[in-house]
Amino acid sequence: MKPTLSKHKKKDFKPAAIIAPLVALALLYGALEIIIPLSGINRIVLPTPTAIIKVIAEAFAADIWPHFIFNVKVIFFGFLIAVPFGMLLAAICSQFNIIVKAVSPYVILLVVTPMITLIPLIQLWMGSDPDIRILVVVIQCTPIIMLNTLTGFTTVEQSKLDLARSMGASKLQTFIKIIFPNAMPQVFTGIKLGCIFSTIGSVTADFVFGMQGLGFKVQQATKYVMTEVVYGSIILIALIGFILYKIVALIERRIIVWKK
Amino acid sequence: MRIPWEVHFLQEPKIRFTNVTKIFKTHRQIITAVEKANLEIHEGDFVSLIGPSGCGKSTIIRMLNDITKPTSGEIYVDGEMIPQKKKISSKQIRKMGFIFQQPNLLPWMTVRQNVSLPLKVFGLKDEKWEKNVDKLLEMVGLKEYEDAYPSEISSGMIQKIGVIRAMVHDPEILLMDEPFGALDEMTREQLDIELLDIWSRTKKTIVFITHNVEEAILMASKVYVMGTNPGRIVAEVEIDLERPRRLDMITETKFIEYEKKLTSLIGEIDLSKIK
Repeated sequence: MKPTLSKHKKKDFKPAAIIAPLVALALLYGALEIIIPLSGINRIVLPTPTAIIKVIAEAFAADIWPHFIFNVKVIFFGFLIAVPFGMLLAAICSQFNIIVKAVSPYVILLVVTPMITLIPLIQLWMGSDPDIRILVVVIQCTPIIMLNTLTGFTTVEQSKLDLARSMGASKLQTFIKIIFPNAMPQVFTGIKLGCIFSTIGSVTADFVFGMQGLGFKVQQATKYVMTEVVYGSIILIALIGFILYKIVALIERRIIVWKK
Repeated sequence: MRIPWEVHFLQEPKIRFTNVTKIFKTHRQIITAVEKANLEIHEGDFVSLIGPSGCGKSTIIRMLNDITKPTSGEIYVDGEMIPQKKKISSKQIRKMGFIFQQPNLLPWMTVRQNVSLPLKVFGLKDEKWEKNVDKLLEMVGLKEYEDAYPSEISSGMIQKIGVIRAMVHDPEILLMDEPFGALDEMTREQLDIELLDIWSRTKKTIVFITHNVEEAILMASKVYVMGTNPGRIVAEVEIDLERPRRLDMITETKFIEYEKKLTSLIGEIDLSKIK
C-alpha cells in the first residue's frame, strides 16, 4: 500500500478557500449598495462602494497612482531590507548570549514605543527626504523580525542538539542542519508581523512627513471632505499590506513543507 | 559467543570506564548520576545496562558518546581516551552510533534524508554509502517511504529509522538508550530478534539500555545492574544462554533463574532506598 506523500498535497488545493471570501465580499458589497442609499446616510460619512470605486478610478492616474506607487516602494524596500537585516542580527545575537541580555530590553522598548512619536525625531535628525521613510519602515520592522528569529534560533529541543552532539557535528553544521531549519516557523511568524509593521510604518511616516503617500492622501482628503478618496486610500493601503502578507505566506508554504 | 577469559585478559577492551563519576548541579540540588563506574566491554560484546529510573544508565552511554562530559574519571575507546575538556575527535565519534530513547528525527527532512544525516555530518560522499542507505531502508522494509516526512509515518517506523540512522555510517559500536521502550510488546520483541540477527551478522559492539529485565536477558551476554542514589554499578551478571537466542527461551528454567536473580538485585537496591 503506497503511502500518501506530501507531494500529493498540492492536489488538495481547495477552491472553497478562495471562493468563499469572494462570495462574502460580493454579498457585503451588494448589501452596502442597497442599505446605504435606503438608510439615507450622507455620502460624507459613508459613500456606497460603487461611489468609492468611481471616484478613485477617475482620479487614479493623476491623483492616486503616484502616492500608491510611492507607498509600494517604501513598504517593499523597507521590508526587503529589514528581513535579512533582522535575521542577521538575530544570528549574531544567538552566538553571543551576553549581547542578547544587554540589548533586548532596548529592542523591546523600541518595538513598544509608538512609531508616531519617534518619527518626528527621525525627521529632525535626518531631514525630509521622502526616502527617509524607508528608514522608518526598517526601524519599525527589523526589531520584530529579529526578536522572532532569535526566539526561533534559541528554542531548539535539547534532543535535537543531543543528536548533533552524538554525531560530533561542528557548531556551523549544527546551525545549518538543525537550528536554522528548526527556526523557520518562528522566523516566518516574525516576517509576517514584519509585513504588518511595514505597512503601519509607511503610513505613519506619511502622516508625519506629509506631502506624499496614501497616508498623506487620507489626511488631505479628510480635510477637503473627499470621503470617497479617504475610503479608497485606506482600502489601497490595506491592499498593499495584504498582498505582501500573501506573498510571504506563499513562500512559507513552499519552504515549510513538513508541517501537516 | 563466549570469549575465553585468557583472550579477555590480553585484549584491550573496546570500551573502558575507569572510576567515572558524573555529578549534575542544578540550583536546587546536586545529583550524583554516576559514581565511580568501572566498565570493560570487549569488541563484539552485547552488553546490557539495567536498573531503576534515574540510576544513570543513560548518562553512562551519553558520556561515552560525548553528549556530556564526566565530572571525573576516564573513558577509553580502543585504548584512546576521550578528551575531558575538548570535543571528542571525529575519528572516535565515527566509531559510534547512538540510538535515542525519544525519537528525534528532524521533521523538515524526509526519511531518507534523516537516515543519511550522519553521512552528511561525517562528510561521507562515496556512492557505497548511498547504497548503504538503500540497503538499510530495505532491511527494515521502509524503502518505499524514503520520501515521506516523519509526520506522515507511524511511531514504530520512526523508531526503526532511528535505529538505521545510527548504523548508516557503519559504526563499530552501537549505543542504544531504551530504543524500543515506547513500542508495544509485539513490535518490541520483533525488533529485539531483528537486532540480534544484525548483531550476529555484523559483530558490532552493542551497549543496550533497558528497564525490561526480560529483554536484557534475552539480548545480552553480560548485564550490568545499576542502582540509584548515587547512581552506580551494583552487579555484573554473565548470561550463559545459547545463541542464537529465541523468544521461546523466556519460559526456560535457566532464563527464569536469571530473571529472578536480576530482579532481586534490583529489588535490593529499592529496599535499601526505603531504609
